[in-house]
Amino acid sequence: MTLENPILLKRIPTPPWGDVKDRQVVTYDQYVATGGYVGLRKALEAQPAELVDLVKESQLRGRGGAGFSCGMKWSFMPPPDGEPRYLAVNADESEPGTFKDRLLMECDPHILLEGIAICMHTCQLDTAYIYIRGEYHLQAKVLEQAIAEAYANNIFGENSICGKINDRTPNCYVHRGAGAYICGEETALLESLEGKRGWPRVKPPFPAVAGAFGRPTVINNVETLACLGPIVEHGAGWFKTMGRASTMGENVPGSYGPKLFGMSGHLNRPGVYEEHLGIKMSELIENHCGGMRNGKKFKSAIPGGVSMGFLTPDQYDAELDFDIGRRYGVLGLGTAGVIVMDEDTSIVSMTRNIVRFFARESCGQCTPCREGSGWLYQMLCRIERGEGAFKDIDLMDELARSMGAMPGTTICGLADGTNWAVKTAIEKFRHEFEALCKPTLVQVSVNA
Amino acid sequence: MAWITKNTAHEPIERRDEPFLTDAMKTKLEADVLPRFPTKRAALLPTLHEIQHTYGWIPPQALDEAATFLDIAPAEVLDTATFYEEYYLKPKGRHLIQICQSIACELCGHENLLDKCIEKLGIEHGETTEDGRYTLVALECLGACGGAPAVLLNETLYECVTWEHLEAEIDALK
Repeated sequence: MTLENPILLKRIPTPPWGDVKDRQVVTYDQYVATGGYVGLRKALEAQPAELVDLVKESQLRGRGGAGFSCGMKWSFMPPPDGEPRYLAVNADESEPGTFKDRLLMECDPHILLEGIAICMHTCQLDTAYIYIRGEYHLQAKVLEQAIAEAYANNIFGENSICGKINDRTPNCYVHRGAGAYICGEETALLESLEGKRGWPRVKPPFPAVAGAFGRPTVINNVETLACLGPIVEHGAGWFKTMGRASTMGENVPGSYGPKLFGMSGHLNRPGVYEEHLGIKMSELIENHCGGMRNGKKFKSAIPGGVSMGFLTPDQYDAELDFDIGRRYGVLGLGTAGVIVMDEDTSIVSMTRNIVRFFARESCGQCTPCREGSGWLYQMLCRIERGEGAFKDIDLMDELARSMGAMPGTTICGLADGTNWAVKTAIEKFRHEFEALCKPTLVQVSVNA
Repeated sequence: MAWITKNTAHEPIERRDEPFLTDAMKTKLEADVLPRFPTKRAALLPTLHEIQHTYGWIPPQALDEAATFLDIAPAEVLDTATFYEEYYLKPKGRHLIQICQSIACELCGHENLLDKCIEKLGIEHGETTEDGRYTLVALECLGACGGAPAVLLNETLYECVTWEHLEAEIDALK
């Protein structure tokens, strides 16, 4: 099962269809010449409600990490009431291992802009903000340029082919973040957009009811929006020829469509590849990435950004779809940024790296996360130095497993992600932690 | 880290007559950025980016000026500015060397780059060289894991970096 033709990477040369050396920015004219904005024109002939149904039927699930049904999310939006409604595009791609949206924005920005325009029309949103992470300097410039082209060609602006949306002129802006992982959390993103510190909000109210500036807001990931043009153009049935139904039961939502996989770590050819959802990780590694670097053996991988947790050596053939969490004891598919580790990798060190990331990026709002992640980091450093004790392992394991200790006590999912990494590391590679630790109880022999 | 508080209330602010947030910058922001949002405060991040881009850091006086410009309290500006890692509230070097230390870059040997940089520049990460030429930062994921190890030199990203390559690039920064 391999993808015949690239969908999202149609214009971005990627093996096996093209050479990464040929990549360049796709201009508006090139985009249109290769069938671009056909989906948007088709969408404008349809009623918003029909489009929501179409996207629901396609079973498009969010590509930003949570995998929530996109059509369902849109259907939570209240009907227009005459006041502004917003689209916040989540381009704050900061989860370690994730770099797929960067490629889309850097090379084919119009595929995103087309998705944005379709979403604005469908959900009756008058203004779109692309919240892009501060470190993406080049991508922000490319987007600005593409937006200027889109205004000049009446995709947005006074004479937009979308007409008035929500009785207003449709506008699209780039909004740069300033180096905070947490701003990828949807409500933190909204806070940041409003010029505040990026502290996640308590939900409800959900953004569909009270989002940016207290108004109904749709928040979608870049890749999710990029799927919209092709879905509208070719239909939901076509979209569902890619990917697969869930193998976990009839009522479980399936994993349909193409997916960008960001492959990194000990690989010969790391990079972003497009494949069916549900492709085996081993196929991606061997066929697309040219196998493991230096001919080493596979040891572990993290399937979708560091908060998902570790896979074991015998899960090398794991199918990468939205059911991966239930099948292989990880949190989920996440962003499908697969980090591959070879046999020489220390899982303790990698866990320490991951927890340091979360300790540094914790926004500081909730005490269990702010303090807990810091203490976890210190414990892991101690174990790595060979000064840890067995009870440290048990304590970390207990913390990670107990809902109400650190997971489940915070406003957003950052603390849960931290603990999934720790939990799966200890569960699947406990021997590595133990090998570095000293026994806690010293047996004292008494000479009679 | 975002939650470390500083005793800023008692710090005297050094002032100069000439404003940091110049009329030209204000005009540009008023024309391009403010109309984008229903509130003035939403233009705070772009305003701070503008100041930082111009001066390399955000002086206390500039924070005050941003507050006046956007009709919000200086404390609100400080609250936001201290949260984001990209805003420098103390002067930094003319050139920013940011080495990614997240998982893919650690797997692919970021440590060698960081150690060599520390050795070459004679500073720890987070510090600035005495001549004010370089600031070295070990930062979390740059979103370039496919090209690990990755380094951001000022605003330019370098992927699959070797030390020879990085050293040459650093030397080229005047």
